[in-house]
This record gives sequence, C-alpha cells and structure tokens, in this order.
Amino acid sequence: MLALIVAVASAHAFAIDLQEDGSFKLTGFYNLTAAKVMSGIDQQFGLSDWHYQQWHCPCSIQNWEYVGVYEKDKGWQTTPESLVGVQLKKNFSDTFSATAQLVSRGDNTSFRPYTPTVDWAYLSWKPDADSPWTFQAGRKRIPLYYYSDYLYIGYAYPWARPAPDVYGWAIYAYDGANVTYEHELGSSGWSVTANAWYGNFKSKNNPYDTLIYDFTPGTTEGESWKDIWGGYAAVTNGTYELRLMSMQYRDNIWSNNADGTQTTLTDHVFTRITGLAGNIDYKNLLVRSEIDRFQQSANSPAKFVYDYALLGIGYKIGNFTPMYTFSRYRVEPSTAIFVEGRNTSMFSVRWDFMKNTALKVQYDISKDHSEYPYPFFGDSNILSVSLQGIF
Amino acid sequence: MRMSLLVICGCVLQCAFAETVLVANPKHAGTKLTTEQVAGAYLGKKVSLADGSVLTPINQTEGKPARDEFLTKVTGKSDAQIKAYWAKLAFTGKGDAPREVGGDADVKKQVAGNPGLVGYIDKAAVDGSVVVVYMPE
Repeated sequence: MLALIVAVASAHAFAIDLQEDGSFKLTGFYNLTAAKVMSGIDQQFGLSDWHYQQWHCPCSIQNWEYVGVYEKDKGWQTTPESLVGVQLKKNFSDTFSATAQLVSRGDNTSFRPYTPTVDWAYLSWKPDADSPWTFQAGRKRIPLYYYSDYLYIGYAYPWARPAPDVYGWAIYAYDGANVTYEHELGSSGWSVTANAWYGNFKSKNNPYDTLIYDFTPGTTEGESWKDIWGGYAAVTNGTYELRLMSMQYRDNIWSNNADGTQTTLTDHVFTRITGLAGNIDYKNLLVRSEIDRFQQSANSPAKFVYDYALLGIGYKIGNFTPMYTFSRYRVEPSTAIFVEGRNTSMFSVRWDFMKNTALKVQYDISKDHSEYPYPFFGDSNILSVSLQGIF
Repeated sequence: MRMSLLVICGCVLQCAFAETVLVANPKHAGTKLTTEQVAGAYLGKKVSLADGSVLTPINQTEGKPARDEFLTKVTGKSDAQIKAYWAKLAFTGKGDAPREVGGDADVKKQVAGNPGLVGYIDKAAVDGSVVVVYMPE
C-alpha cells in the first residue's frame, strides 16, 4: 500500500481537489520506517539478554505515545512507526473551515493495527480573511514542544523522528478550543505568533501507562488530563526562532482491574510543563535546541521533576542534510523513588531525492541512566531507514 | 551560417536565464516590493501596502518552470525546504500554501481581474494587463 502511495505522491501535486471549486481538499503524509536494533546491553545489571515487560531486549523504544518498540531478535521491523495519514479540509468561506485528519498506523496498540484513528477534527474561524486572530474548536494535537503538533509529518523535519527522549507523553491531544494571534513587528522582518489552548483528554486504555509501567497482570491503565491550560509564544525572522511554552493540567491515572473495578493511582495532581526552543536556519546551517521541564505537585504521591533537552546541528549539502543531535532526559533524583533517564546521540542524513519525498538514514547510540531495581530498556544502538513524504 | 549560429546561441542563452518577475493589478502601478516582503508573502505573510491595501500571493502549479525558479531565488530555500515548511503549517492548521492557479497566462488573468492578488510570471509574458512590482536580483 505504501509503495502505491509513494507512486501517487510523486505523480501528483501536493493536495487533491475533491470539489471542482477547490474548496474541499485531500492531502496526506506517510512514513515508512524500517529499523533494526544492532546491539545493546543493560549496564546496571550487566545483562546482554533480558526482558522488560513484554519485550525481549536488547530493545529500543522510538515512539512513546503508541509504544513503538524495536527488539534485536526481530531483526528489521517496519510496523512500530510506519503510518499513513490523510487530511480532509473543507473551506466553507475565506474565514470558516473544517478539518479532519485520520491516521492509520502499522502498530497501533490502542486499536486493531492499521485501523485509522481520528487524530484531528476541528473547526477554524477568523473574523475576516486578513485578521491576525484565528479561533479553533475540536480535537488537535497539543503543541507542547516545537515538533509536538507535527510529530508524524516526517517530511517536515530533518530526522527519522524527533528525539524520543524529549517527545512523548501518555496524552498528546486535547478536545477543546484554542486561539492564535499573529503579528508582524513593523518592517523589522520579525513576526510573533502566540497560541493559547484549553481542553481535556481521556484515554481509557492507555498504551504508554499499561504497556510500559503497569506490572499487574490482567489490568490496563487509563489516564486523563483535565483542565489543560497552555500557551506558547514564538518570535522568528525566518533565520532565528525562539519559542516559549507553558502548560498546566490536572493528571489522573487509574488502573482498570480484571474484576471490572478501578483503582485510582494519581488523583487530580497539578502538573506543569514548560519549554524553551531555539532554532537557527542560516544559509546551509541548521541548529535545533530545546530545554523542557515537567513538574508534578509536591503533595502528590507520584511527584516527579523531569528535565529533558536536545541539541542538534546540521548542514545542508545539495540535497543532503547530515546532522548530529544529542538528547537527554532525567528524573530529578530528589523528587522520585527511582531515577529514570537516558542520553542519546543521533547521527542522521536526510536526502531529498524526489519531489515530496525524503529518505532518512539514522544511527542512534543510546545509554540508559535509569536506576530501577530491575533492568529497564537498557542501552541500544539502532539503525533506522525512513521514507517520508506528503501528497 | 554564422548568423544562424548567433541566433541559436542567443536563444539558448535567453532560455537558460529566463527571468521571472512579480506582477500585480495595474492599480498598483509604481509600487515596488522588497525581497523580504515577497519572500515573506510566499512563506505565509500578507503584503500590506502603504495605502492600506493587502496583497495575497498566488502560485503557479507545481512543475511550471517559473515556480521553482522564482520561489527558490526569492526565499533562498530549496523546493524541499519550502514544501516542508508548508507541510508543517498545513497539517497543524496554521495556514495553507498560496493558491495554485496554473501558468503565466492564468496568473496574469487572476491578477488583472483582482487588485488584491500578486503572482509571478516569466518576464517575457508581461503585457499591459499587469504591472511589475518586484524583480528578483
């Protein structure tokens, strides 16, 4: 199916008109990723072969939201991250539109594999076509970190995927409303964009909580984020960009027990996530950097402070963009019973070899700095080859 | 023979260095836009003129020679970079790429009929129905 999509993508211009007047368009994106864990060990316990949860390790988690994990003994795998998405957008007028985005994933642990999920569904309205204000309501991905709301549009970023050490929580979308304001700062060339959102989201059987952190057989875990209030402001002149974000919500996690009852694990805990991103696109040079902090209320039984960051430098040579990126996450030791953490070096090359399509080859060297009383995902070296495009 | 060769060489040189220019409705005669304004326009910003009017850019269809030539020259970005930029905006609900209308003749027709539009065409296609408001350096 994906080979057909690539063929269609290379033949068609971006966007397919579903109505002659151009008011109803279909666009899409795809990601065909094959990856292989080349080697790995658990340094903490000195193991070269172990299991973490359902996975036979050495193993590597490359997508936290849908729990895409590669296992060394499975060789090359294509299902943990591959996907195809379509976006339908109807423009009712210059100021009012409706958009829906459906994504079909190879290994979607929430549903049957390949069953499309409605990732986005929202209405958008502007007071007039030239207004700096846009109001939207419905379901969208949370624009938490720089790449959060386009995490699956691989064609739009240099790597096979944005660093998993930074990107990925249990909840990644909200049902609610948002407002955007855009303003150009005179003739300086700088512009500012600000976005504020409010919403809620509930995931009854959450793969992240259930598969990664639930050790009780026969149970699943659910999570909801309530009273999500967030906002970001970004300034850019096309070369430099700075983005500041802050979001808060009440976190709830519960266990769905085998006997049909529920047990509360995290109850309405106040949580704040803040982030700062700084990017440079100067001639052939690319710099990507982010620093973020996740904090939960001090009165919570599950109080955490996570700090995480990434720094990447790339250089465009013709149609090739080689890049080196370092990422890191750590639970602050004084805030948790057990520390979880990781350092990763990513060596990537993006090749824009065909219209609307990019080929990426990436090698990650990842070291587990967790201190659980059991082996976690451990260290891993993983080679990824991704074909990512739009249509 | 020599004259024919000169004619052929001249034609080849002209074809290799075909210029694209940005044109607008004759109502905007005398307006001259900067590279920053035009690059910004094709990356999502509107062009606001001194008289308060706003210009919305239109694109030629993908594959037209003028499109790649103009966009990469004005923005300093490759076709892939521009596409990636618009993919990010389109798939996150932040905006859509300029509307595609066809080739030189279609751009002229749109611009001549709507003072709010601005588009690029081959310099050789400029006629009395439009005015040039920007020439790439």
